[in-house]
Amino acid sequence: MQATAETSLRVRLRRSLVLDPKLLAIGFGGGVLSGLLGVGGGIVMVPLLVLWAGYAQREAHAVSLGAIIPISLAGIAIYGVAGEVRWWQALGLAAGSVVGARIGAGILARIDERLLKVVFGAFLVGVAALLGAHG
Amino acid sequence: MSGPTLYVALVAFGVVVGVTSGLLGVGGGTLVVPFLTLAVGLSQHAAEATSLLVILPTAIAGSLALRRRGVGNLGLALRFGVVGAVGSVLGALLALALSGSTLRAVFAVFVGLVGLRIAYDGLRRESVHP
Repeated sequence: MQATAETSLRVRLRRSLVLDPKLLAIGFGGGVLSGLLGVGGGIVMVPLLVLWAGYAQREAHAVSLGAIIPISLAGIAIYGVAGEVRWWQALGLAAGSVVGARIGAGILARIDERLLKVVFGAFLVGVAALLGAHG
Repeated sequence: MSGPTLYVALVAFGVVVGVTSGLLGVGGGTLVVPFLTLAVGLSQHAAEATSLLVILPTAIAGSLALRRRGVGNLGLALRFGVVGAVGSVLGALLALALSGSTLRAVFAVFVGLVGLRIAYDGLRRESVHP
């Protein structure tokens, strides 16, 4: 089951970088929003990978998280040259987040996919409410 | 907030961001940017720039943990992300060309719309899933 899913993912991604305009568009679009808004881009890439490109939720999350590495590097380079990066505050947040990411990833490997969709949706609604409350 | 209090808050909030990132496959910027502007008082541009630097190690740690558990394929995900990096350069240059208030409005509207869209879809699919 796991091997089948991974083989399918590999074939799709290999094709995508050469042929599939859907995945090229998702990667590019996720990158633009990441650089513009300072987010990872997963907020766009995960739903598009699931709803448009037909990925399983768990695969989409894993692909998105890996893609965020080169995407964020590029954004940091541009903002860094502009002098906008606050290095010490990033260090404090990152120290906590690296620990937290291990916990979250451990839960992801075992979680029910339908539950993950509800959690993901609830997470985004929470962020939207937070932003709306502070206009 | 300032001094030690600020750093305790930063690290504690970082743990929350990391769990979210590892669990949901997003970098956590949707939490970090509002935190840095509203609680720490950074400008929108500085908050977004700093958010990306938090996202990078979070994504690396989360990806390595997933790889150990055999979820996804990190090498292929990285290649997929190179396409995104081209877009990210253009997005960051566009952000730097906008005023802070405009950028903040764009940020709020975008996250609000996406949040409602995905929450609705998640609940709808939950109910019709076989």
